[in-house]
Amino acid sequence: MVKFYLDGKEVTANKGETILQAARRNGSYIPTMCYLSKVKPIESCRICVVEVEGTEGFVLSCSTPVVEGIKVHTNSQKLFQHRSDIMKMYNVNHPLECGVCDKSGECDLQNKTLEFGVDSQEFSAKDMHRPVEDWGFIKYDPALCIMCEKCVSTCNEIVGEGSLQVKLGGYGSQIEFTGDDCGNCGECMAVCPVGALVSENFKYETNAWELQKVPAVCAHCSSGCELFYETKHAGAFTANEEKIYRVSNDFEYKSLCGVGRFGYDVTQRGGKDEKEFDAALSMLRKADAIRFNSRISNEEAKILQTLKERFGYKLLNGEAYAMQRFLKAFGSTSGERYYNGTLEDVKNSDFIAVIGTKVADDNPMVKFHMNMASKNRKARISYLHPIEDASIQNLVTQNIRYEVGTEEGVVALLVASLLKGNDLPSSVKDYFEELDIGNLSAESNVGEEELERLERALVRKNAKTLIVGSDLYTHGRAENMAKLLGLVQKYGDFKIVMIPSGTNTLGVANICELDASAEGTVVGYNAPGDYVIGMDGQLSTPPLPQQEGTLTTIDKRVVPTNAAIPFEGYTLNDLANALGLDAAHTIDYTVQLPKKAGYKAVEFDRLLEEYRPYSPEQNGYLLQNGAESVAMDLEEIAELPEYNGTVVYNCDPAGQMGALSAKSKNLCADDALLGSQQFAVAAKIKDGDTVRFEINGEKFVKVFKIDTSLKGVVAMNPLFSKGLSGDMLCSDYRFHKVNINVESGHNE
Amino acid sequence: MAKVYFSTWRGEFIDNRDLPVEEHKESQYKLPETYEADRDSKAFVGWDGLAIFDADVDVVKMITEYAAKYQEYSEACGRCAPGRWGGKILHDLLDKIARGEGAHSDVEHLKQIAQSMQETSKCEIGKTVPNPILDVLEHFKPTIDALIEEQKPSKYYNDDSISYIGKITAPCMDACPAHVDIPAYIEGVKDLRFDNSLAATRQTMPLAHTCGRVCPHPCEDECRRANVDEPVSIMELKRLGADYETDHGFDWFHPDEVKELKNDGKKVAIIGAGPAGLTAAYYLGLEGIKVDIYEELPVLGGEVAVGVPEYRMPIDKYNVDIDLVASLPAVDIYTNHRVDADRLKEIDGEYDATLLAFGTRLSKKVRAKNEREDMPGYWGAINFLDQINLWEKYKIGSPVDLTDKTIVCVGGGFTSMDVVRCSVRANAKKIIMLYRRDEQTIINNTTYEEYHEAVEEGVEFIFFSSIEEIIEDENGHLKELKVNRFEMKPNPDGGRPKLEKIEGADFYIECDYLIPAVSQSADLQLLPEEWEVELTSWNTLLTDGKTYMTSRPGLFAAGDCEYGPMTIVNAVGQAKRAASVIARYLYEGKTSLSDEEIMEDHLRKLRVYDKEEKVTGWLAGLAREKSEVLGVEERKDNNKEVNYGFTQDQAIAEANRCMRCYYISMAVV
Repeated sequence: MVKFYLDGKEVTANKGETILQAARRNGSYIPTMCYLSKVKPIESCRICVVEVEGTEGFVLSCSTPVVEGIKVHTNSQKLFQHRSDIMKMYNVNHPLECGVCDKSGECDLQNKTLEFGVDSQEFSAKDMHRPVEDWGFIKYDPALCIMCEKCVSTCNEIVGEGSLQVKLGGYGSQIEFTGDDCGNCGECMAVCPVGALVSENFKYETNAWELQKVPAVCAHCSSGCELFYETKHAGAFTANEEKIYRVSNDFEYKSLCGVGRFGYDVTQRGGKDEKEFDAALSMLRKADAIRFNSRISNEEAKILQTLKERFGYKLLNGEAYAMQRFLKAFGSTSGERYYNGTLEDVKNSDFIAVIGTKVADDNPMVKFHMNMASKNRKARISYLHPIEDASIQNLVTQNIRYEVGTEEGVVALLVASLLKGNDLPSSVKDYFEELDIGNLSAESNVGEEELERLERALVRKNAKTLIVGSDLYTHGRAENMAKLLGLVQKYGDFKIVMIPSGTNTLGVANICELDASAEGTVVGYNAPGDYVIGMDGQLSTPPLPQQEGTLTTIDKRVVPTNAAIPFEGYTLNDLANALGLDAAHTIDYTVQLPKKAGYKAVEFDRLLEEYRPYSPEQNGYLLQNGAESVAMDLEEIAELPEYNGTVVYNCDPAGQMGALSAKSKNLCADDALLGSQQFAVAAKIKDGDTVRFEINGEKFVKVFKIDTSLKGVVAMNPLFSKGLSGDMLCSDYRFHKVNINVESGHNE
Repeated sequence: MAKVYFSTWRGEFIDNRDLPVEEHKESQYKLPETYEADRDSKAFVGWDGLAIFDADVDVVKMITEYAAKYQEYSEACGRCAPGRWGGKILHDLLDKIARGEGAHSDVEHLKQIAQSMQETSKCEIGKTVPNPILDVLEHFKPTIDALIEEQKPSKYYNDDSISYIGKITAPCMDACPAHVDIPAYIEGVKDLRFDNSLAATRQTMPLAHTCGRVCPHPCEDECRRANVDEPVSIMELKRLGADYETDHGFDWFHPDEVKELKNDGKKVAIIGAGPAGLTAAYYLGLEGIKVDIYEELPVLGGEVAVGVPEYRMPIDKYNVDIDLVASLPAVDIYTNHRVDADRLKEIDGEYDATLLAFGTRLSKKVRAKNEREDMPGYWGAINFLDQINLWEKYKIGSPVDLTDKTIVCVGGGFTSMDVVRCSVRANAKKIIMLYRRDEQTIINNTTYEEYHEAVEEGVEFIFFSSIEEIIEDENGHLKELKVNRFEMKPNPDGGRPKLEKIEGADFYIECDYLIPAVSQSADLQLLPEEWEVELTSWNTLLTDGKTYMTSRPGLFAAGDCEYGPMTIVNAVGQAKRAASVIARYLYEGKTSLSDEEIMEDHLRKLRVYDKEEKVTGWLAGLAREKSEVLGVEERKDNNKEVNYGFTQDQAIAEANRCMRCYYISMAVV
């Protein structure tokens, strides 16, 4: 702690804290135009200067750490004059088109121009023509840009794309879109303080001040990103119908990916179709099982579990079932119910190993946090996967490409390396000593020298994280891998983060007693079945963005979310009540979430009361990590399977997250089969061919495209366009050996 | 001293405008009154004021052009509000006055904008560009008022024959012999854009891994941050960009796109693949000019490879820098290729230009009685380090084992430090360093860290000592040294204190090896006598120090064989310049310098850094970051790199201490 004087009063700063940070924390206001809390100080606006006694000239508060004993003054006539002069410059040639600017009403330039009383323009400069640029989802208007560089820093430091850079050149300087790997996340737009960056689908739609902000949690993946659905009525002729106009977020501290930011147009308008409700009920009454996906709230999962307990339904959810078993096996060696890491831990890591996930596509938030670790901590990142991902070359320091199917062997080798030098009980030590490393290494194609390199990267690291993905949960040998990974949590100084494959997979796995399979009549809830309720079903129910309730995130955090806009039809709760349960609202189940899984008996409304938007803190609460009884029954590594020939990998691109996001018209990811040149040769196909193949009876007809960033003979097969049945394939091991037939050739 | 007509340079005020010539005062600074041999300069404008040499200069046009340089030089501007808008307004208002459309209110606005820029611009350009402009507004008011009242363009407003030649500099860039754009590479670290950082370094310095480790960093002696608290740790920040490229396996971040091989028959030979040879090859290769390097040793890298030990400069890192050069399609390298006088004549006939960059690879003698190079136990530093490094880094030859041996080294520079610390690692029983002068001088000649680490590792330093006589045993083996002791006596005439021998204080040291590391000289046998190539008084190749051509047309020299044993960065700087001159020489048949280079030399003469300057706007007291080093027990018996380098937190904090002291200078010619 460092003591200093802020506007006359003695205050303390943390070590390394800047004058601006300490001032804000202690309640002194220093204006800024370019400061953004989540990135390094940009230092372009120069408005945040302060006076320090004994130092001649102004001192830049955003980037200057506090020094013991200094006497800082954050405001004076001189400072006000200086700040006002800068605002005058910012206004030179800034187009006076606030009336039609989408930023009007929430524009920093507007606000500070008023604040510093700039009511006339003394300066002028010869202007230049600056045409509007098209950056994909976003348009850039350099004439409105004030060159604060928040977008550039965010793209580089948070997102990790470096798609933006400053095109230098005095007054002619502007932001340059290099397009490299831009994933259309819209983070640049979110942090833009003026109207220079506007999304195409929001442009000229509404005034900012007319919108209601509904705080919610993103429905598309397990990261639990907080966002606001910004809504108002849809127009004069539909006065009662609300519409989401855009998604915004607390960009000062938090981020969103493109699916979260733009994939909001997936809401449904429902009516109460009593006839269909009765049909659904009668199907439920005679059904043996309910199949459902993980895009449901904890409360809905609790309703389904209660129905099971009351009426004996089998509950089917393959991906949550896989995760449930994986966690159970993991607990049998780690001694704990859950993995111990969070996204924050990923961000603070100086070493990261990733295995069993094409992480940049599977979970953009994990990738963002890996990027922050790479940039701020120079994290060494070892990426173990059968498909090398060129799009994250800037993050990864070591690619270890293993053979498809050999995950169990690779996990054993990796765990042995990660635990090297740790104190292990003799049984575990013996287990690793008896491993046939040479054979595992040969079969999996993970060289011993690669492992040695990985071990060298571990030296002198003190914040190590292991990220695990669904390739492992769904593998035939998942449980033994989970047991091996549990050892890392127990005996290694590692944080482990498991990426749940769906939005609330972890919640479902915690709350429902799931069944491996079922016979007889199956009712689907947002899933295929003999009768389907919910998405794409006969009886429509509200999709997740139109529900209130809680979700269990990758961080093992229980977070409350709200309905963006009302849904007038029936809900799962209505059906459950008709079957004999009794709850006025779905959220009545919030207090009933299972304590043994670490949930707290907190009412939903209480969670909402504690909800603090605009805070670096996360909302909701963390699940209690309970103890599990330890049973070290590690199994021998099974013979590693071989996947020869053409193999496809089920994987949605980063711009899609399954069946729900597939409904969005704002998003426009390609569903083509993507493969390397080598894959094309092996499969005897060409770029542009329409090809046919089958996975577990599911037929695919797709255009094949060559992706030069891919290597090897594994192609990427997006599932989102398959809707609900695509979701179901997430229950299976993601790699499949397939026969690829050309349906119709390109150019032929 | 310079003859000026008017000057406000660096706080002086000389106004000879109304004085007769005989009463003219001279400036105390080495201002560039002559631009080139046959071109006088009319004026010089810069961050610290302006100097006018020729009364007939159009001062209003001049400062308008100076403000325009600020718009032009994209490297340093457009990244802060006062600079981006202020700089533009400054220029537009000045131009308005200069073209005869100005108003008196424009002058007031200029002053207001200038003040804003001076107070808070992000870098020193923004803060200092207004300085000479305000000087003109103050001291040439009648001229300006006249233009406003008459609404006429200034005298030479439309005269295209006058050149306004600008150059960006910074104190650190000026001090660096390779003129590395230091603020830019530090900015890359600060922005967490390590790719940009490396590309900035490579504009003038291809050996980023190497000079991020073993550069004696003269830049840090002229870092303006020292005027506030301590200099920025400039050298180590160079590593971040280089590590980023290497660690992530990226293709090379070249400063510019590599030009296609020209294939026009022109080609350049380079003798020696050390820092100078590699550097010249890199910049010629980037231009697509065919280069062949001939290297005598079986390995590449010159003294940095076979002289600098592994623990200080890991060869796998140096090899990355070497690969960068070797990867260029225009560059071919031939090892084990000794060039003697006959071969040099062949090469001279075959190539359009030849660059000699063979270094100084002969150890000089200590000048003691009975000193014979062939005496067993007498072991020249170059040969000693060759054997150690060839074995430790390449497994060529045989290891050096000094178990139970006593070593005496005579030196005081980096080479001697390498000798004694390698002896520690070769398990010597006792290691003594004899040095003629005191502890502080040895630290100044090397670095504090280098000296301190040697002491930690158990090297015994005996200061104020030199060998008078080498004594051999009955078999002719070196056995004992007779050593004189000295004391420092102040010089009554001022100047450096004198060493005086202390009578009766001689002593003897028994030892197994004497390793002289006092200095090295160039091996000049490869010069054909009939060429009569001119040499310096200390037997290195003589050039003009600007174009690096020797007395023989087409034969160039750079690095230690030109300068004498000096630093890597000095070799890089010379070779970069030589490459640029050679590239023009190939097509123009004569040597010439670009305006950029001429300005570079003028600025170095003038000195950009002013250690007396009072720096404002920066809070003092932010300590310089220090990287962690291996403990002495962990390092003294192996070749592990001693310095861990900065953690990312340290690097970012250190980068943040950089004040971006860019300046614009401009000559009117």
